[in-house]
Amino acid sequence: MSLLTLRSLHIFFRSTSGSIKVVSDLNLEIEAAEVFGLVGESGCGKTLTALSIMGILPQNAFAEGEIIFRDNNLLTLDRESMRRLRGKELSMIFQEPATSLNPVLTVGYQVAEVLTTHMDISKKEAMNTAIELLKAVKIPSPEIRIKEYPHQLSGGMKQRVMIAMAIACKPSLLIADEPTTALDVTIQAQILELIQRLREDMRMAVLLITHDLGIIAENAQRVAIMYAGRLMELADVYELFNNPGHPYTIGLLESLPEEKGKPLKPIPGFVPEPDRLPLGCKFSDRCRFALPECNEKEPELIPLSIASNKSNPPSPPFAKGGQEGINHLPPTTRHSSLHLVRCIRASEILWRS
Amino acid sequence: MALLKVNSLKKYFPVKKGFMTAPALLKAVDGIDLSLDEDRVFALVGESGCGKSTVARLIVRLLPPTSGEVLFQGKNVFELSGDNLKAFRKSVQIIFQDPFSSLNPRKSILDTIAEPLKIHRIVEKIRIKDKVVELLNKVGLGSDILNRYPHEFSGGQRQRICIARSLAVSPKVIVADEPLSALDVSIQAQILNLLQELKREYRISFFFISHALKVVHYFSDSIGVMYLGKIVEHAKTEDLFREPFHPYTEILLSSAPTIIVQSDKDVRSRNLKLRTDMGEVPSPIDIPPGCPFHPRCPKKFEPCDNIIPELKETDGRLVSCHLF
Repeated sequence: MSLLTLRSLHIFFRSTSGSIKVVSDLNLEIEAAEVFGLVGESGCGKTLTALSIMGILPQNAFAEGEIIFRDNNLLTLDRESMRRLRGKELSMIFQEPATSLNPVLTVGYQVAEVLTTHMDISKKEAMNTAIELLKAVKIPSPEIRIKEYPHQLSGGMKQRVMIAMAIACKPSLLIADEPTTALDVTIQAQILELIQRLREDMRMAVLLITHDLGIIAENAQRVAIMYAGRLMELADVYELFNNPGHPYTIGLLESLPEEKGKPLKPIPGFVPEPDRLPLGCKFSDRCRFALPECNEKEPELIPLSIASNKSNPPSPPFAKGGQEGINHLPPTTRHSSLHLVRCIRASEILWRS
Repeated sequence: MALLKVNSLKKYFPVKKGFMTAPALLKAVDGIDLSLDEDRVFALVGESGCGKSTVARLIVRLLPPTSGEVLFQGKNVFELSGDNLKAFRKSVQIIFQDPFSSLNPRKSILDTIAEPLKIHRIVEKIRIKDKVVELLNKVGLGSDILNRYPHEFSGGQRQRICIARSLAVSPKVIVADEPLSALDVSIQAQILNLLQELKREYRISFFFISHALKVVHYFSDSIGVMYLGKIVEHAKTEDLFREPFHPYTEILLSSAPTIIVQSDKDVRSRNLKLRTDMGEVPSPIDIPPGCPFHPRCPKKFEPCDNIIPELKETDGRLVSCHLF
């Protein structure tokens, strides 16, 4: 049983002319204590997915489908139960540590508040635990720091405080949304190392959202690639980088500078607006492998091995772990070796060929 | 001869500490020397707050220096005035990191790009529109956007508009201050290709500031590594990435995450070993005595905390470290 299961999750924005779908039919499962990477460019829906798990979507957005966390569907849970889960079992850190902390409260107060909200302890005990937590995230002289305000800390220190708040109640899932994008590479390496160490110590799962493939390569075990609100590819991290199946994934990898002087092969065009997506495959207008039929019907997310074997009919879309799904699959596609691609030409495309 | 030369350039900012106390000095740029040759790309790398953007602003004379000089074609740019200054502005252009705040929201794209053409009288009035279209085509945009406004465009498109605007005056040098970091990966590649094409076609030299080491490796010919207002290592790009000399450069390079393909596994484990939790950059108001990097340096030894190392030549590059 997975820790978190997203089942046909759709997210919509309300607008004056009806609702616009920004995340479509997302299926994935996150196991306890794993780092699951979610990759995509801005506007692909990765942050909205995270916000929907936390139940903090903006007012003008709503989600449909199921978000199952420990036998509860978070989308149907009442506000009070959701409030008890949030910050305790599920927690989240954001891209901008500077805007995520309250500027008029001390760092110590903000960390202690998490503890007094979710646990039956006194303010004094909470403050002492806050010091311990700041020590755990390697903030030097935490006894002094708890009395300071966010503006007195550097960006890296603020992110450490955010992490301290997020892990205060030993959550089983930490959502890290671009946790190091605002930080320097040296600080980035330190923060990621810290997240990894805490994950091992506390056996917490991490949903790591980023646009940086290098960060994914170094930190995640499994990766999902999102584009225009769809899951385009899902695979084990090693498999994804060595045998990418979706033209978009290949495009992202080829966008990275490699050999000096060799022109890059960027993905042409730009991400379309969510209300102006192409009819068939949402990537077809930018895809160099696209066939006429790609513009007609949106492909399903199917295992790469089935995509390569034309005689087998494609099975319904699902992500790793769905027991019913797995049983009628060849044994080689089980678990971490499962590689799903939403592309009708996935089997023909060989990277670097 | 160097097209652009920077000699012992300093920029100190006074920072008020409190009422009745003398302001402290923030030494953003503390005596640096650089040179940029024709048709070359010089990259400046370093963590935020090391002073690299201040150097960019000094070079294009957006800020006056505390001391030192910037020579463009042999002339000190801070002493220029009148027509000479105008000619300098025409030769050296800047592109900023954030394409959202560097375009005037109330000006159409036509007006935005036409402005430098008018100021520098590049073309006759009746040809301005044609020239703007030509520039837009150069950066991969069409004439259909002439009457649209900046808010209608994505980050990548805006950065293209900024590039078109700087190309309008046919500059010899473009100072690019983190031109890619606000953009998505696939768009970064598009803009980087564009910059490379322009460099080939117009022989523009670039003064390129970035913290994305992969991009710097790909695009630049030589690199200056900056730390707390000083250059700590200055080398050819290939040499620096093959073997960084300064301990700071070493840590900086090893901190960048890499994508594993089988052959890189050794690189990864070497990088992981080198990465040390070295804490954060000290405030540029209280620069540590001796080598400014010594409090974070894993290789520090006896002279580091009291003697400031000089930038000396070692194996065809410049390094300021007592180890060399």
